[in-house]
Amino acid sequence: MRGEPIEAIKVGLESMIASLRQDPFALESVYMSIITFNLHPKQLLHLTELENMQIPEIQQPEAGGTHFGEALEFLCKRVDSEIHLSTPEQKGDWMPLLFIMADGRASDTQLFHQAVPEIKRRHFGSIIACSVGTKTCVENLKQIANHVVSLDTADSATFKQFFKWVSASVSVGNRSIGASDEVLLPPPPAEVHTVI
Amino acid sequence: MDLKKIIVDASEDRIEDFRSKNQSQIETFILDLWKEYQQNSDPVEIDQGPVIDLADDGDDRQCGEYQPNDPENPDEPGSPDEINVNETEMQKQGASERPPYDAIDLQIKSRHIALPNGKVNQNYDIHFDIEKIIPEISGIRFEGLDQAGLQFVPETKKITGIPQAAGDYKIKMYCRRHDWEEGKPTIEREITLIINPDPRSLWVDLPTPEDIEYYKPDCNREFIKVEASETVARKDMVAASKRGRSHAHEGKPRDDDFMLHFDDGSGWYVMAVADGAGSARYSREGSRIACRTAVDTCITEIKNRGETFEKQIRTFSNVRSEENRKQAGDTLYHIIGTAAFKSHKDIEKEAVDKGNPIKDYATTLILSICKKFDFGWFVGAFWVGDGGIGIYAKEPPFLKVLGEADGGEFAGQTRFLTMTEIVQPMELYRRLRFDIVDDFTALILMTDGVTDPKFETDANLNRIEKWHDFWNNLSQEVDFSDDHENSAEQLLKWLDFWSPGNHDDRTIAILF
Repeated sequence: MRGEPIEAIKVGLESMIASLRQDPFALESVYMSIITFNLHPKQLLHLTELENMQIPEIQQPEAGGTHFGEALEFLCKRVDSEIHLSTPEQKGDWMPLLFIMADGRASDTQLFHQAVPEIKRRHFGSIIACSVGTKTCVENLKQIANHVVSLDTADSATFKQFFKWVSASVSVGNRSIGASDEVLLPPPPAEVHTVI
Repeated sequence: MDLKKIIVDASEDRIEDFRSKNQSQIETFILDLWKEYQQNSDPVEIDQGPVIDLADDGDDRQCGEYQPNDPENPDEPGSPDEINVNETEMQKQGASERPPYDAIDLQIKSRHIALPNGKVNQNYDIHFDIEKIIPEISGIRFEGLDQAGLQFVPETKKITGIPQAAGDYKIKMYCRRHDWEEGKPTIEREITLIINPDPRSLWVDLPTPEDIEYYKPDCNREFIKVEASETVARKDMVAASKRGRSHAHEGKPRDDDFMLHFDDGSGWYVMAVADGAGSARYSREGSRIACRTAVDTCITEIKNRGETFEKQIRTFSNVRSEENRKQAGDTLYHIIGTAAFKSHKDIEKEAVDKGNPIKDYATTLILSICKKFDFGWFVGAFWVGDGGIGIYAKEPPFLKVLGEADGGEFAGQTRFLTMTEIVQPMELYRRLRFDIVDDFTALILMTDGVTDPKFETDANLNRIEKWHDFWNNLSQEVDFSDDHENSAEQLLKWLDFWSPGNHDDRTIAILF
């Protein structure tokens, strides 16, 4: 992803953080991590509490190629080491939510297929994939996400709407639910088209 | 296949043909080469923490100016990697050969310089010594710190103060080279300083609209006075329930509930607390039905089986054999097991009548029946979900937690009375507990809005030291002397305590 979409994502992220900072519950309970991927996944931000968070610079990709599978594999490792599960001696974290933004197709097909069941095993509260533009391989996204939404125009205004919805979804993440349930999300805004 | 060899061997007119036939392999080949190049040239660097990180020599290039002009051609001069190399070399050269002016300017602009976030009304005090990392510069000063209520003291190299208003402040940092002369430019760098609001100041308390379906008041409390009989003081019951801040903030109703009952004729106490699931639409009604049906059923069942039951309890108290335990346990099952089962059925009926899934009414339930005998107190309990119930005595110290909390891998995951598997006979039986104790300070039933902040973990709920702390804290605010009716009001007030991240509905019921 490059050019306008990635700029719009930066703006969207910033406004999302700003609005979460105005939510007192989020301010005390939300943690966020950012991973970018092209040829390699890169964790720009370790799981960090909202209170101490500063949005890092998101770099333009340096080469083509979308190693989606590798990115998912990397994500699983980060989840395993950074998310605390409940034990008798430790209070677990809230179920993590995963938001994926992509505009291409997995070029490491085999690795991608291997990563799909691994992601499912991590029990995300919800996985929301956002397809940006018209060249996204929606099939890829459908395989991992509970919700696939598509943003046809990748401008700042649309992203702002999308991230507004994301923040609302983050805010409902910390509620008591049945042991096997999925987190129920608020309905997406009109600018965001739900694919499934 | 050795692609490299094939490409070299191919005659020129066949190259195009070859390319079109082997497009994907060529791409993979090039990608692999690129990957190799990246791995060798770009150190893996993921740490870009929110802390001040002046010593970081990594690729935290914060300034857009030095981005490559053409992202399609990363090998062009001016790509971030090259800048990094230059920077490293420049440092190796050290002071003997002064780097050109713009190189220092570039160093300062390309470094990841961040100030830790502050918080309104909280002392801000950080050491900021950039000259230690970039020794060529001095004369640091800031513009804009005062807006945030902070100042930089050059002597101590500290930024201190108490921020008064939240926001993202754009701070300008100025510095100059040691050999700076009049007329030469100073170096300027913008740094963002984030001041978080005090979460306490952000909460709003919106009343729940009274016209919603299943309206329930935002708080409730009750005191049941059990007067002394033949000059012997008898225990009273008190309970309070308060909507959590997270619900109040959105004008959403309280999902918790409780119910107390004392049967003067038989001397049985019945108590219930329930926590409707935050994720379920009508859980406030689920918790209400659960408490009401459970307590009502207990009253009816005690009327029917009370005589037999009390005999069994007495027998068990005399001879604490497995057989006697089983007999008392079986009758307890018929009383509170039935109560839990009927609560489930009543919720299910309501759901069906309204055409809603039963899941919409998801609720936990903690239910207890107790009675004082001449040989001590009988306490029986049923527990599904999170929260907790325990018999606690301060002196001599005694604690018995009557069951186990249902938790999942993650916070907030639990089991509900409304799940079909919970009301299977074996499962109901498994969740029963009873004991006979001489006396106790308090029998306490509470929802997770109280246990999460006060006990934090399941292990802590079984630690008497935690209960001592809990009781001390509670009895500082609530006067638990006999027949003290105002304790209900005090208990409700106590429920408003602050605990970061814990803003769920809170309900507590105490027999004391």
